[in-house]
Amino acid sequence: MNWLKGGLIALVSIAGTLAVSQMMRPPVEGRAPDVNVPRTAGGKPDLNGIWQAVGSANWNLLDHQARSGPVLELGAVLAVPAGLTVVDGNEIPYQPWAAARQKENYENWLSRDPEVKCYLPGIPRATYMPYPFQILQTADNDILMAYEYASASRVIKMGRVQPPPVDTWMGQSAGHWEGDTLVVDTTGLNDQTWFDRAGNFHSEALHVVERLTPVSQDVLDYQATIEDPKVFTRPWKMQMPLYRRQDKRAQLLEVKCVEFVEELMYGALRKKTGNEPKFSAARLRWP
Amino acid sequence: MKALTALVISMAFAAFVAAAAQQQPAKAWTQPRTPDGQPDLQGIWTNYTSTPFEVPDSGDKPDFYAGDVDGTGRGTGPSSFLTDTSDRKLTKAKSLVVDPPTGRVPIMPWAEEVRNYRLTHIQDDWVNFTPWERCITRGVPGGIFPAGYGSGYQILQGPGYVAIVYEMIHEARMIPVDGRPHLGPSFRLWNGDSRGRWDGNTLVVDITGYNDKGTVATNVATQRVRAIPQSEQLHAVERFTRVDENTIDYEVTIEDPKVFTSPWKVAMPLHREPDYQLFEYACHEGNRAVPNTLSAGRARDRK
Repeated sequence: MNWLKGGLIALVSIAGTLAVSQMMRPPVEGRAPDVNVPRTAGGKPDLNGIWQAVGSANWNLLDHQARSGPVLELGAVLAVPAGLTVVDGNEIPYQPWAAARQKENYENWLSRDPEVKCYLPGIPRATYMPYPFQILQTADNDILMAYEYASASRVIKMGRVQPPPVDTWMGQSAGHWEGDTLVVDTTGLNDQTWFDRAGNFHSEALHVVERLTPVSQDVLDYQATIEDPKVFTRPWKMQMPLYRRQDKRAQLLEVKCVEFVEELMYGALRKKTGNEPKFSAARLRWP
Repeated sequence: MKALTALVISMAFAAFVAAAAQQQPAKAWTQPRTPDGQPDLQGIWTNYTSTPFEVPDSGDKPDFYAGDVDGTGRGTGPSSFLTDTSDRKLTKAKSLVVDPPTGRVPIMPWAEEVRNYRLTHIQDDWVNFTPWERCITRGVPGGIFPAGYGSGYQILQGPGYVAIVYEMIHEARMIPVDGRPHLGPSFRLWNGDSRGRWDGNTLVVDITGYNDKGTVATNVATQRVRAIPQSEQLHAVERFTRVDENTIDYEVTIEDPKVFTSPWKVAMPLHREPDYQLFEYACHEGNRAVPNTLSAGRARDRK
């Protein structure tokens, strides 16, 4: 029987060591780990819920002061909010040609930003659009991210995946867990999406590694490392918190914005009957 | 040592039971469950079938319904290289419409007139296209009627939710199964408002809150029913029942007292196809059909 006892003690001590090492996992930068985050039956953090970034990263990833919006008649409504940078060092390391392109994009925001046309947002922009998104995590840890904006979605395949067969707007996302952090590696992105409304852009060589770490029951730490050797001189990183929507009845609602842009995109091609909607001549000012 | 003896005996018994089980004829399939007890419908499913949507009738005008309104061969069907051509047919029914038993949707005449107007005035205005061609949605339940391509659906389940990811127009439909009530009447939605519940092993989804801008069926494969308008009184009830490892029986009952003279029902299987790859259907981003069709109309006007 002694061998059995010895084995049991060894097992218990392994389990104990594992438990202690779980508790002693290094904390997220500047934050104490929260051992009370919800967990799945398998012990992984349970990310199920409706989340939203609060801030104005979608307006500009870098430091930006408030300013008037692009339509004079709207006055203070839809003005551009102020915001602190979400980028490490408040700098996006563009190659010189790309810095010039970004400036041009900014000046031609309304005609160039894919968001104006309700196009798919790409990664990472989908995360910090001013709309909620829902994470659905299955027991097998397949993870769906469904975004309210434009009915965009992506299924994060866990484990090893084949290289993406074609480039797409939302790319191909592969996930794995590093401790309590969901790491999502996205490739196969096309060059059509932007990072924000300030003209920050990338090429089809974009490679995004996102890290989602629960820091409490209702807050995720979101980090994304951006790599694109055709556009940037080095990889760079953004970081922001994502908050759980606490509203009792929170649910994703329908935001099918295609309908909102048809007049803008096709209006000049409509057959004139005299019954079409009338528009006043709004005065645009941008930049 | 007693514990060890018991262990050895129980292991031997387990081996005997396993061997006995192998000798028996194929065991009845049992519904797998998720850890929180929901019947497990998860996986990648496809819906292709060569069975027609309705039982054909001699008065049908298939080319017209497909968009060839002037006999010039102009239609709006998908390119043949995209099309699923597997010869998968229903065995028990002549059409996907199973009720009424005639296999014909009880469409009111005014609604057929609206459809005819839309089909013949497609060059005038984008609102005469179906929501699918406008890249808004194939609709609910229409999004699950076979279109002939882009036929993949992925079902995922998490606490309180069943999600259906539609390959066509990249929609992720989040169906709460936590008993919450429908949204209020201020919401008139393209896809309505889905609320699910479990009836035994069947997922039952009740959908209300539609707008009157959509159509129940959008794709050419739905023939006569394509582009038929819907009203805000549209109400659909879907039933998803997994009947074996590789099959979900799908049924939907559709009623809209302003458009149809009685409720009607579609029934068809979804087939599990784990190796099927869903591609991104970035529809609006590459929509040339709408502007090109409209600009052809304006060019015609100038002649």
